[in-house]
Amino acid sequence: MKALLTTSVGSFPKPEYLSRARTKSSRGDLSKEALRELEEKATAEWIQFQEDIGIDILVDGEQYRGDMATYFAENIEGTEISGLVRSYGNRYYKKPIITDELRLRGPISVDWFKFAQAHTDRPVKGMITGPYTMMDWSFDEYYGSRADACLAFAKLLHEEARALEAAGAKVVQVDEPALSTRFDELPLLVKAVGIVTKGLQANTVLHTCYGNYSDIFAYFNKLPVDQLDLEMSNSGLDLLDRFKREPLKKEIAFGVIDVHSHVIEPEALIRERIEKALTIFSPTQLFIDPDCGLKTRSLEEAQAKLRNMVAATRAVRTAHGWT
Amino acid sequence: MVHTTVVGSYPRIGDTPEEQILRRGIARLDKGEIDEAALKSLEREVVQAVLREQNEAGIEVVTDGQISWYDSQSHLAGKLASVEINGLARYFDTNTYYRQPVVRGPVSWKAPILLDEWTFAQSHSKSPVKAVLTGPVTLASLALDKHYHSKKALALDLAAAVAEEVDALVRAGATQVQIDEPILTRHPEDLALVAETLERIRARKGKSDLILFTYFGDVARILPDLIDAPADLVGLDLVQGAGTWSALAKHGSEKPLILGLIDARNTKEEESAGVAKKVQELGGSIDLKASYLSPSNGLEFLPRDRARRKLRILRTVADEVGVAG
Repeated sequence: MKALLTTSVGSFPKPEYLSRARTKSSRGDLSKEALRELEEKATAEWIQFQEDIGIDILVDGEQYRGDMATYFAENIEGTEISGLVRSYGNRYYKKPIITDELRLRGPISVDWFKFAQAHTDRPVKGMITGPYTMMDWSFDEYYGSRADACLAFAKLLHEEARALEAAGAKVVQVDEPALSTRFDELPLLVKAVGIVTKGLQANTVLHTCYGNYSDIFAYFNKLPVDQLDLEMSNSGLDLLDRFKREPLKKEIAFGVIDVHSHVIEPEALIRERIEKALTIFSPTQLFIDPDCGLKTRSLEEAQAKLRNMVAATRAVRTAHGWT
Repeated sequence: MVHTTVVGSYPRIGDTPEEQILRRGIARLDKGEIDEAALKSLEREVVQAVLREQNEAGIEVVTDGQISWYDSQSHLAGKLASVEINGLARYFDTNTYYRQPVVRGPVSWKAPILLDEWTFAQSHSKSPVKAVLTGPVTLASLALDKHYHSKKALALDLAAAVAEEVDALVRAGATQVQIDEPILTRHPEDLALVAETLERIRARKGKSDLILFTYFGDVARILPDLIDAPADLVGLDLVQGAGTWSALAKHGSEKPLILGLIDARNTKEEESAGVAKKVQELGGSIDLKASYLSPSNGLEFLPRDRARRKLRILRTVADEVGVAG
């Protein structure tokens, strides 16, 4: 039985040599080709690491991305990239600015998907920054309506999803961290994600994090995807009781690793979290992963966290006789 | 001529290396390469630059840009008795996060929090520097209350603490003190509580002008009562809160207002003549000469270069209102 499949949300930390190369490249001191070579090296290393520790569904680790929204915007016509704005504390990011009608130049992430998939026999996720998040994290100087901008992104990202599927993606994940930003816009998000996933044969996943889930809970079963990927450990597993009362009619990827903590969760703690999840979800419905992308952790922390996650999952499988 | 002001925050860094000294400084502090005193000195360099940029744009009442604030909640609440600071939470509908205050016991003021920052800014500014404080009801609403189990009880104790701070600022010479209550755009039913807390703050305001500012949405439903709240001026977000325009035209205001009409959350540049015309249309229902024009909320949601451009648009709108008015 395929029980408790392990996966990741998307990003992994970049090795030191790649961080240095990106800085050099941004100063114009390193060619695009040379940077690409190092991004490929780091991606291959992360694929190898995931295989080595035994993760079931892999990600490419997003070694070639800076920010998840600007990476997509840079490859869409009708956008510019802004100067730095603050996210929190001393963290800053650049935002897309929509300056004209949005048009796809060509596939955005397909090339990297193919590269990663060519390095493993295990499935690699296709990863798309969702239309609602693209809209919410962009300045809009063209559409003048959040709904129009969101749906324009959705149409383009549907093409991207189909291109990923055509390239062999068995799993397509739509990242919507902005999902819980405005509750009155949840119907818009459902509509936009529905446009992206329409007609796909691949297993579709929606990832979100760091929101007030209690207010959006009623929408979980309406989201037009096969699987929800949720941050659970950072929110203290509060949602489990609610899931008990109102069952989820989809698969769930259940975050068992806090990605914003330096603490390496011990295997026993992760086992405990998985066992709690198993009181609500069936072992085939339940996937195990970190809360969110691990890019803000050090490479050593991220790898240690993932190792413990896989070991804990194996231990639970063994204890239940699901090996 | 109508006056100009800003709401509070300003981008701490820009895209040039010299505009990034604070970002680099905090990173160096984290690595133990510099100490708190060195960081404070960098912060003050940035405050001076921010004051200069507002001054060059012709803004009449400025702020220190809240350059040393980690966020709008923990900077104030974290220095009160019985408050701890927890993990990150999303700040309204922005893609920014604040460290959530956790209230573990009776809240009280211990020592001045903003006084040094304000004094430094005012001593380096030709224009009056407005003191800006997050309001007690917004603080109470966004905190995790493990003690009072009552938003009202917590807000009233926070109001007492804010009032102490206001007293310290006014004694130091602040002539304008602004209390931000963005929560009213989400919970208009909290207006009575906001009014009750403002009464306590007003008792300590001395001769300063007390301002109540709401942003991140409209307050059309409560506008007449909001204007009647115990403050000398009321600030309104008329961009994300565009719905407030028509209520304002309908009800008018005898109290001077701060009209937040330059979009501080989007880079799109306003066409100044169009905005000026809308302001002039309000001329019959509000006292424009005693009022101010401003961005819709703090400017830190924009890149620095765009924030500068927005300030210049604001100045142009004010000039156009003045010329025609």
